Amino acid sequence: MERVRQLASHLTSASSKDAAALQRKSPDDVVITMAVRSPLCKAKKGGLKDTRSDELMTEMFRQAIARSAIDPALIGDITVGTVLSPSATYEARAAALAAGIPESVPVQTINRFCSSGLMAVTDISNKIRAGQIQVGLALGVESMSQNPDSGGPPPSEEIKAHPAARDCTMPMGWTSENVAGDFNISREDMDEFAAMSFQRAERADKAGYFTHEIVPFTAFVNDPTTGERTKKVITKDDGIRQGTTKEGLLKVRPAFPQWQPARTTGGNASQITDGAAAVLLMTRRKAEELGLKILAKHVTTSVTGLAPRIMGIGPSLAIPMVLSQVGISKDDVDLFEINEAFASMYVYCVRTLGLDPEKVNVNGGAIALGHPLGCTGARQIATGLNELARRNGKILVTSMCIGTGMGAAAVFVRD
Amino acid sequence: MNRPPAPPAVLHTPGFAHYSAAWSPFHNTRLAVASSANYGLVGNGRLHLASFGAGPGGMPGLSLDKFYETQDGLYDLAWSETHENQLVTASGDGSLRLWDIMLNDLPIRAWQEHTREVFSVDWSNIQKDVFISSSWDGTIKLWSPDRLHSITTLQAHTACVYQALFSPHQPDVVASCSTDGTVKIFDLRSPSYVPSGPNVNNFTKPLLAAALTIPASGTEILSLDWNKYRPWLIASAGVDKVIKVWDCRMVKIGPEAAQTPAVGGICETQFVGHEYAVRKVQWSPHRAGLLASASYDMTCRIWTTNQTLNGTHLLYIHDPHTEFVMGCSWSLYDEGFLASCGWDCKLNVFRPML
Repeated sequence: MERVRQLASHLTSASSKDAAALQRKSPDDVVITMAVRSPLCKAKKGGLKDTRSDELMTEMFRQAIARSAIDPALIGDITVGTVLSPSATYEARAAALAAGIPESVPVQTINRFCSSGLMAVTDISNKIRAGQIQVGLALGVESMSQNPDSGGPPPSEEIKAHPAARDCTMPMGWTSENVAGDFNISREDMDEFAAMSFQRAERADKAGYFTHEIVPFTAFVNDPTTGERTKKVITKDDGIRQGTTKEGLLKVRPAFPQWQPARTTGGNASQITDGAAAVLLMTRRKAEELGLKILAKHVTTSVTGLAPRIMGIGPSLAIPMVLSQVGISKDDVDLFEINEAFASMYVYCVRTLGLDPEKVNVNGGAIALGHPLGCTGARQIATGLNELARRNGKILVTSMCIGTGMGAAAVFVRD
Repeated sequence: MNRPPAPPAVLHTPGFAHYSAAWSPFHNTRLAVASSANYGLVGNGRLHLASFGAGPGGMPGLSLDKFYETQDGLYDLAWSETHENQLVTASGDGSLRLWDIMLNDLPIRAWQEHTREVFSVDWSNIQKDVFISSSWDGTIKLWSPDRLHSITTLQAHTACVYQALFSPHQPDVVASCSTDGTVKIFDLRSPSYVPSGPNVNNFTKPLLAAALTIPASGTEILSLDWNKYRPWLIASAGVDKVIKVWDCRMVKIGPEAAQTPAVGGICETQFVGHEYAVRKVQWSPHRAGLLASASYDMTCRIWTTNQTLNGTHLLYIHDPHTEFVMGCSWSLYDEGFLASCGWDCKLNVFRPML
């Protein structure tokens, strides 16, 4: 009887707000039907160095449409997470049109630094959940070749006089040293985790795991002598250093000798990288109507703030927050993708949260693959869902620290 | 919470589980209770009228004045704001009935338009000649006691609408909550419709666009209430056990609303503590920051938006109920008196010591 079922639902979902409840399916669920990424390539040196940020976006849009298997006119809204481009919205709107998305489909950009790709997904998800749109596309894009991170503008007198506000203007490397110093993260531990990231990425790359999430990407190549531009299809990440060991990393000189304890190096920090990723979201109802394969549902995203001087530990606050929001514990989670901005914060977060390292960044992270700022949040979803399917897991948590002192985390449940 | 609480005044109605209680806006001792046989799952209903006054031994007591039988369970009731002896009830069979308590046995009017359970009724205290009902059929209907048919129907949600309430500050503004996890605010003066799309058939089933949609929870929202002192402050609660207080001042009403249906609401405070779903929330009519809640965890709780000295928002727990507490209602005349009722077939009136 329908009445009994309706009233019983008040209790069943209340008393079992747990992993089982999370896996319940409803037509109103916000689901992901596609999560793909470009190869991640070293800035200034790698395969995407001559591809402008608007060209990265155009190609990502083009690949997303090709992979989405839907009429792009069905897309109700597009949000592009990107950080460094000074004219991101011009680029994003124009790129969408150039890629063949109809002019009726609107575009916006979003920027919460390293979480921008996740914020784009969250923004689209919320719009779908609220019923404003049924289908939406989220992108994360960054060309750090074209737009190097040169920090913020000089602060005002008032900001300079406020200790925490002043910290927001400091370089990220300084925050990494603060985390290492404040929480006694040793150089050995940092290099051990960094080497693990390289070794895992190398293994996954050789085993071909990434081929399921990487779309072949048409990049531009500038001839340095003639200035002529040619096109080339790239399919592989190029930041993974083969045969990296902890012993090797220990020899690398500190990158920031001016800040104590000077444990951060080029080998145990995230790489500066170009890349893009795309996630297509819609209601379960719509996905079923269109006959699309559902990869996962996005359950929720939590974002929190903390002291800017130790911004790296953001995931250690955001992950418990999102887990309690959905009513599960860390043991219910099959896979974590925690952005490796620096090995200092990576070690701290894994230890503080008591996570099983065998469940975290199992195919490497930003230390090996690179960290294109705006792309990362969306890239983690592509990588995480791909691996979740491979190991037949259910629950994925992605998380990252955010410059100026924030942390974000999101929960996804594979269908 | 230091002194032991005085025992509540109790009215027991064996066999009829309570879903809602409400104090008369005209008489300070008069209460009505909507109830159902078999816990409202199947079978008939009963509307009880009770008085709260001096009982045996001079202690305050509750006495049953009369009751009315109905064909299906009753889930809610609302006293008329114009006629001291009239009230309207919401029923599981989709009907609404208007009763005059000076008469016996039968209602003076009945309306049958909703196609599923009617779960709430609310009488406007600004335009005192209209009331609204909300139903599991997804609609909210606006009624006048003098008319044979509803004045208007709002296709408000695509799932059960558990409660719809008029704003106590703005005429023609209604808030509703639903299985879909949203709280919505509608402006009845400027209805606009969600545009047609691949899945929206506006021709046969226009979905009314809300002036503001608050994504309040990932699970069902069972109850809401407008704060009586701060306009655009709404409390919501439901299956996720958390009571959330929403600042909705960003809402735009009037013609502007029709142009830009907004999504938002700022969650100002959360009251965490109930162990099961929260079935009902109601702000105090006397103190701006005071809220009562009733829950499946068999308690009725009092909360304050200002933190207490020990850092929580919880002020008081009323736990004599032995089954789900489904309703709670602040006395409109006697400050601090609260009625609670539930599936233990008991109506309790008590004065929490705050």
